[in-house]
Amino acid sequence: MAAVIETWTDPLLMLVVTPFLGAAPGLLLWSKPRMLKVWVLLVTLASLVMLMGVSGRITGLAAGIPFLFLLPVAAFLSLLGQPAQHEGRVAWLMTLILLGLGLGILISQNGLKLILLLNVLGLVSLLIGRYKKLSGPQLWWAIGTYSLGVVCLMGSLIATPPVTSIALLLTYSVLLPLFPFHGGYVGALVGLPGNLPAFLALLLPSIGFHGVLTLIPSMPGGIVQTLVILALLGALYGSLKALAQNRVVSLLAYAGVAFFAILWWYLATTKSYSPQAVIYLSAVALVTCGLLLAWLAVQARYGDVDLRAISGLAHSMPRFATLLSLLALAAMGLPPFGVFSGFMGMLLTPSLPLSGALLIIVVAWLAASWYFLNLMQQLLFGRHRRDLRHEDLRQTEFASLLMLVLILLALGIVPSRFFESGTPSHGYSTAMESTLWHK
Amino acid sequence: MSSYVILVPLLPLLAAIVIGVAGCRLRERSAKAGVLPIITAFLGAVVTLVLVSSQGPISVRFYEPGSVANLALPMGFYIDRLSAVMMVLITVVSTIIYIYSVGYMYQDRGHSRFLALLAFTTFVLLCMVSSANLVMLFVFWQLLSWLLYLLAHNHTRPATLDGAFKTFTLLRVGDVAFLAGIVLAHALYGTIEFQELFARAAATPVILSLGPGSGLEISGVTAVTLLIFIGAMSKSAQFPIHIWLPKSLYAPTPVHALLHAGIINAGGFLLNRLAPLYGLSPTTLHVVFVIGALTAFLGACMMLTQNDIKKTLGYSTIGQMGYMIMECGLGAFALAVFHLIAHGLFKATVFLNCGHVIHAARQEPKFPYKDQAAARGEFSRLTWLTGFIATLVLPLIILLAAHGVLRIPLRDSQGAVIFLFFSWVTSSQAILTLTRLRAVAFWKVAVAMLLTLLLVILTYLLAAESFTYFLYPAPDEVASYFQAAALPAWLFDFLVVATTLLIILGWFLIYARAHVQTIRIPGWVEALRARLYVLFINRLYVDMVYLKLGQGLMRVAHRLDKRDVGWLP
Repeated sequence: MAAVIETWTDPLLMLVVTPFLGAAPGLLLWSKPRMLKVWVLLVTLASLVMLMGVSGRITGLAAGIPFLFLLPVAAFLSLLGQPAQHEGRVAWLMTLILLGLGLGILISQNGLKLILLLNVLGLVSLLIGRYKKLSGPQLWWAIGTYSLGVVCLMGSLIATPPVTSIALLLTYSVLLPLFPFHGGYVGALVGLPGNLPAFLALLLPSIGFHGVLTLIPSMPGGIVQTLVILALLGALYGSLKALAQNRVVSLLAYAGVAFFAILWWYLATTKSYSPQAVIYLSAVALVTCGLLLAWLAVQARYGDVDLRAISGLAHSMPRFATLLSLLALAAMGLPPFGVFSGFMGMLLTPSLPLSGALLIIVVAWLAASWYFLNLMQQLLFGRHRRDLRHEDLRQTEFASLLMLVLILLALGIVPSRFFESGTPSHGYSTAMESTLWHK
Repeated sequence: MSSYVILVPLLPLLAAIVIGVAGCRLRERSAKAGVLPIITAFLGAVVTLVLVSSQGPISVRFYEPGSVANLALPMGFYIDRLSAVMMVLITVVSTIIYIYSVGYMYQDRGHSRFLALLAFTTFVLLCMVSSANLVMLFVFWQLLSWLLYLLAHNHTRPATLDGAFKTFTLLRVGDVAFLAGIVLAHALYGTIEFQELFARAAATPVILSLGPGSGLEISGVTAVTLLIFIGAMSKSAQFPIHIWLPKSLYAPTPVHALLHAGIINAGGFLLNRLAPLYGLSPTTLHVVFVIGALTAFLGACMMLTQNDIKKTLGYSTIGQMGYMIMECGLGAFALAVFHLIAHGLFKATVFLNCGHVIHAARQEPKFPYKDQAAARGEFSRLTWLTGFIATLVLPLIILLAAHGVLRIPLRDSQGAVIFLFFSWVTSSQAILTLTRLRAVAFWKVAVAMLLTLLLVILTYLLAAESFTYFLYPAPDEVASYFQAAALPAWLFDFLVVATTLLIILGWFLIYARAHVQTIRIPGWVEALRARLYVLFINRLYVDMVYLKLGQGLMRVAHRLDKRDVGWLP
């Protein structure tokens, strides 16, 4: 009996099973979207509470426990602002399933972790194929990239080191987007419906980052050099692509490619873990999530329009304008939000060597100010469209965006020790051994 | 007791929160409620100045420099005499502008938001000048870029959106360069604390290679200071990243006053804050001098071609900022602070008044007043003789007295010459302007000229002696800056002689024109003048160059976006 209780109170099982069990009764509420939405929100809250309860017993998490909390929080916030309509139901239940899988991947080890990862890759590519929101080449690129991830993952099971590590690294480069394997990430953000892109904007990079953290210290020098080059190319490519986009979701997806390329560059250059990298990843993912949710609010009112078709929303939607400008502020890497703190912290890491690559990184950083300002300016300022009916954010939309802004603010000012790894014996060096601001 | 000084920046923040939160409901009352914290902040700044002057710098840190468990943003305050002086300037200008704005913006729809942003800008400026380290200074430096974007443009007018976009993008260029400078400084010297950074940079000279095998090298401190200087250039509107300033014309008048009197001084403050670092790099100081001189010259030339009161004042500010930066490049850091204070107070007054002038002009149906007809034919020997004596004879006597009687070694001290020279240029500028006054008695103009000369000389004596000593109490430090900034003797002499000749030529031309004498100017000079006029009225086409650059980049981005569909997502 004690053994059964011990099995059922295992943190991994509890965290994976809770969202899954929550998703099953959701099917009974299929015809009542309002109740279904309330139910999935309750399940995400239950996951959060469960995580709080078992967090003391979780060991071996490379990126620190607070990082784990962001997943149910992001799931909750991405669901909160959604209109209770029939179209959103699949996305809501998929959010629960992906939340369970994501939590499982982050806290499990070896075999189980790979199986869960396989499920995430398969499920996301299946959804992309099912909804077919992408154009032909984009769709095949997205599915192809996920297939590559699956093949590499399978290969890692039968190969021997160092091929195992390289295969796994390729899989993780699909999740934490690295040029030229970013098609999966872009496809997930552009090609999925409802709140799923907003949630996956955090989930996919988190899984990828967590995996890369454990692999990169043991990578051969040649591979690391290749990663640095790909990261720099990705930073430039993502920035240029984001500059050329008129569709908000595409812009955000390519901006994510550029921002995560900076993280790849940092990880490959330092080959070490630092809490600032976790802050940076979390902040970039959350800000993408927030901007996607903000765009969903616009989309719910005006349809999936071109960025140039809407302007002057600051006049008619002041609450939306305030929150969008704060999110844009965070996305542009301005203080006091987490993106800035994480980026500064990474650049001031004592183990970061000086090189010309820094120039490319700051150029990518500068480009972000350009395209995010353009996004904000196009939507909020300029000619006010009197021919359209305007409605400011509803309570739930407002609450979800406000909470995201507050989390981003907290990430910017919270002491970095909160994100220190719980497992110093993982084989990777800790860059924060010496002082951060004062070497 | 000294910890209470942090209330000085916090009070305007409190005002901003109160107005921002309760502004819509309380409207008039909340606006007036904001006055009290801002005035209190001003009084607090004065008390801080007194405290710092008598007891030395105040340091309050909310992080431990030697601990990894610090805040992600290392917040702390370091208030020395420079910070305290800046705090007084910022609070006095902000108080005046805030009180003015309460009435001026009363009927505006965004009245409360505007006042809240004004108070928040004051908070950001105060935190910036009292930052304990480079990162905190950079944090508030960037927030200032954002506030400039919000405040300095009227976002309801589509025509100004382009200007707002350019402003923020150019400011971000400066921010990014500043960031690179901080990263480099931290990588080379391992600290972001001001005093330690200066000490380590002085103790450990570092040479950086600009490329493997290229043989090109640069000193570490030069690289750091040059990068940070780009940041200063963007905020202080230095050529060629000055174009954002004239584009902010549609902002309300109080914003102009705050922008031209406070925000734009950030560059000068930054160079002063890092003066010990700049003093280690003669190369950077020479670059600073060249950029400052170029901006002063081009700013003044562009100002002369403007036909709009706000644009004229805008370019005048660019020119004045050029002077301020040039003074830093010459090693006269204290003089630059003195300049920015004087310019700040003067420009704030002019801008606040210009709002009324524009308002009155809109009400007035008549044509603008022309004074040429009335002025023609009036010529006073007394005025011209006084002007001649005041600008050319007396300064020469002072120069000879300083050299011979007071035994100031002018030949070996570029610093002393710079002070004397600047006082001469300033007084000449003022006196030449007075020659335009013809509606009053000539003896009054003559007396005004002499008083101007006296005032300018006394002011510069104050700046050279008391104020320099106040900001930089160690004479060796001041001397070391001048030494580091010293130009080659031939170049320095050439610049002094060239400027002297220009002033004499200016006298000659004005005198001849006042005498209604025809001056024969060669045809090619006239043609050149016409071309230069076109060039300057089009602002040297710098805007066009930026536009082309932006368009080029977007073309590349679109080409990449279109071409890669099919082989890359």
